Amino acid sequence: MIGFILKRLLVALPTLLAVLTIVFLFVRVAPGDPAMVILGDSASQEALEALRQQLGLNKPLWAQYVDFMLMVLSGDLGKSMLTSRPILQEVAEVLPYTVELTVASLTIGVVVGVPLGIVSAKQRNGWFDYFARVISLVGLSFPAFVSAVLMLLIFAIELRWFPVISSAALDDPEARLRALALPAFNLGLIMLAYVTRVTRSSMLGVMSEDYIRTARAKGVPGRMVVWRHALRNALIPVVTVVGLYLGVLIGNSVLTEIVFNRPGLGKLIVGALNQRDYTMLQGLMVIYAFIIVLCNLLTDMTYGLIDPRVKRQ
Amino acid sequence: MSTVHLSTRQPGALALFWSRARRNKGTAIGLVLVLVMVASAILAPWIAPHDPLEQDIIARLEPPSDTYLLGTDPYGRDILSRILWGGRVSLFVSTSAVLIAMVVGSAIGILAGYIGGKFDRVTMACMDVLLSFPSLIMGLLVVAMLGPSIVNLILAIGLTAVAPFARIARAPTLVIKEREFVEAGRAMGFSHGRIMGIHILPNVASEVMVMASLWLATAIRTEASLSFIGLGVRPPTPTWGSMIREGFENILDAPWLSIFPSIAILIVMLGLNLLGDGLRDATDPRLRHE
Amino acid sequence: MSEQAPVLDVQGLTTEFRVHGEWHAAVRGVSFQLARGETLAIVGESGCGKSITALSVMRLVPQGAGRIASGRVLLEGRDLVPLSEPEMEKVRGNRVSMIFQEPMTSLNPVLTVGFQVAESLHYHRGLGRAEARRTALALFDQVKIPSAARRFDDYPHQFSGGMRQRVMIAMALACNPAVLLADEPTTALDVTIQAQVLALLAEVREAYGMAMVFITHNLGVVASIADRVMVMYAGEVVETAPIDAVFARPTHPYTEALLRSIPRVDRNTTELQAIGGQVPAISNMPAGCRFADRCALVEPRCRVQSPPLTMLPDDPRHHVRCWVRGGETSVEALQ
Repeated sequence: MIGFILKRLLVALPTLLAVLTIVFLFVRVAPGDPAMVILGDSASQEALEALRQQLGLNKPLWAQYVDFMLMVLSGDLGKSMLTSRPILQEVAEVLPYTVELTVASLTIGVVVGVPLGIVSAKQRNGWFDYFARVISLVGLSFPAFVSAVLMLLIFAIELRWFPVISSAALDDPEARLRALALPAFNLGLIMLAYVTRVTRSSMLGVMSEDYIRTARAKGVPGRMVVWRHALRNALIPVVTVVGLYLGVLIGNSVLTEIVFNRPGLGKLIVGALNQRDYTMLQGLMVIYAFIIVLCNLLTDMTYGLIDPRVKRQ
Repeated sequence: MSTVHLSTRQPGALALFWSRARRNKGTAIGLVLVLVMVASAILAPWIAPHDPLEQDIIARLEPPSDTYLLGTDPYGRDILSRILWGGRVSLFVSTSAVLIAMVVGSAIGILAGYIGGKFDRVTMACMDVLLSFPSLIMGLLVVAMLGPSIVNLILAIGLTAVAPFARIARAPTLVIKEREFVEAGRAMGFSHGRIMGIHILPNVASEVMVMASLWLATAIRTEASLSFIGLGVRPPTPTWGSMIREGFENILDAPWLSIFPSIAILIVMLGLNLLGDGLRDATDPRLRHE
Repeated sequence: MSEQAPVLDVQGLTTEFRVHGEWHAAVRGVSFQLARGETLAIVGESGCGKSITALSVMRLVPQGAGRIASGRVLLEGRDLVPLSEPEMEKVRGNRVSMIFQEPMTSLNPVLTVGFQVAESLHYHRGLGRAEARRTALALFDQVKIPSAARRFDDYPHQFSGGMRQRVMIAMALACNPAVLLADEPTTALDVTIQAQVLALLAEVREAYGMAMVFITHNLGVVASIADRVMVMYAGEVVETAPIDAVFARPTHPYTEALLRSIPRVDRNTTELQAIGGQVPAISNMPAGCRFADRCALVEPRCRVQSPPLTMLPDDPRHHVRCWVRGGETSVEALQ
């Protein structure tokens, strides 16, 4: 398994390099002078020149690229132009909130979605199947911020079950959990929708496979046919979808964090956008690049755990 | 040998979809929902009861009434009219974005598949990297770099969808490239452009169209999300996302402000998802022979 | 054929499938008996109901799409048709086992082959982990899987087709069943591997004293392994006889045609004759003899009424369903 992970890490390196290059080009090649964008049209020529100097914008592109890569490699993402604090430090302060939110909603999605999909497939076209399909359709149809706004309206404002603004007293574990509940459920609903769907259809596919018939011909009890013989096979496409939608989840966490006014990468990125904090944006993109590569790595490793055929390749 | 009839078309997914839609209730409902929303967006100038930009200082934040069926916003503008006009903007932006992504993405996919070799590998590796980036965050950054405007919004959303189109167009290209009639065409001296246009494009088209309709829902969602963050079309032009944002700021006093545009988005998304299911079933090879 | 009670006795089995909302018989009135240690070959083209017959015995006809409409399946004297699913689970893999045609897809890709063989020992014998493993390892040796101990914890994708079929056989033998149903077990394999697997099947049947139903579309395969042959066409038994009688005196025109279609080394292969036409669909069966449309000997009466299964006057063990070639005494009337 360790060899497998190392091999995957090696494969992930070029991807990371490519993503970082794209991030670099993205920020540099964008039309307009970043200095002008940051300082506004009315800035004096001297101020613009000084900023360009500071950002290294008047060096040739390849030199900027080398600088950028060296910076990333040394683990330094520069300072925020707005607060002058190291970007890594700002990110480190809020990252736990985003990670906590995504992990919680991922858990909700998988822990609820997989059994829902299985039961739905087992009772194909029954009332439960119908119900589960409606739930997942609704989950798919809600943009994250719409469901967030509606949830806030219903559960926090009307029913007062959860705090409207969730940033208070986060060192108290109970308050923190309460603050997490609604945002996590909101994001979890989206994941749940995807997971239920793909579990159902892949379970239906697997149950008609020859090896399921073999298991039944051996006299394996019906319950064990589903849980031991079918489920692990059915989970392979589920892992694909979860891996694929981790990106969607991360994207939607931005919206969720804004609606629920939660600290996190989302608030950081939108703040940076509004304040034109150019160095912060670049730093955040690098962070996202790392997160995405890490997610892909985790997905690959999960394959390795579920599907014995993967390790061989 | 000037006219050689080479039939290269297979029964299209769209044709199958139509025959299926008539039997499937969900698909039919989806179709109706989408058609209603598209029609009301197109007809907005004629059916909207008010000017969406007209401010009525006396009637601010009014709950639904006879004059203002869905109430008014903080500037006294009619919510219903803004929803109808906002749908126009949302649908225009997302449809244009998907069309751009479709054309650019399929061109990349067909070229990569047809040329093959190193070009194919490098291009598709780039596409995979693009694909791994969450579309919302990519859209966010593109708009942030380019500055918010309708054109930039379309470009940003379009860019997020290029990679999937490239992928889906490439797969059938690889298969068709190896077939005899392409060899024959080349032997007859057809240009590469002509071969791609006559033989490959028609076979790719149907899958790509299905993909396009599936991506429309994603594009609408991305547009609304960007507008919600404040990176969409500039005010005062109404869009659903920005209306929800405005409503969100007044959520305690006037919840209808965000509820009604939310419902509008939901109807479109439900409709598109139901339609998408129908399309997916029609293209799923496992279900095809049923 | 002895005085002893048959180990498997199928009586008037009719299995139906739903086609466009209506039930049609895919297997109609099939009866056969199997004595201990006997091998019966069921022969016919695909779509003749051979596999459905075996799946009906296993009660593995896909639920919802198919059902056993009538008949009895007596396994060691007990009728399986009315059994509940949990009761049936105790029979499957225990008293009756089945091997399938496709070794490549019939094994679960995410479970080790060892586990898959040991599994039924756990359910039917209540063996613990270590004991089940030991027994399963012995089975691996018995089906001649080389270096069994080392390969026990491998996954199916690490095995060749022939080896996978050996694993399937080990799985089927695990609980020493009374009856083994082998559904085209060699069809998907290379010719040399086919011979090995056939030999193995013959050997284990001998060793275990099982009765075996061997389903194939190739009469040539049958010669070396079967005691008796039952030819099926369009869901019905059209001829049944001891193996020698089938080759010496094929009586039903369909059996004749099947025999002619066997490729033979000693003859010019261009002489190989395929049977013209197709098996009629179960939803579109002709009124009279089901083979009439493809039969060279067809007479007007064949198209009017379905012929009964009759006994040949000089051989009571040779039954034929044919107006032209059949005997006078109906088998069904005797029973």
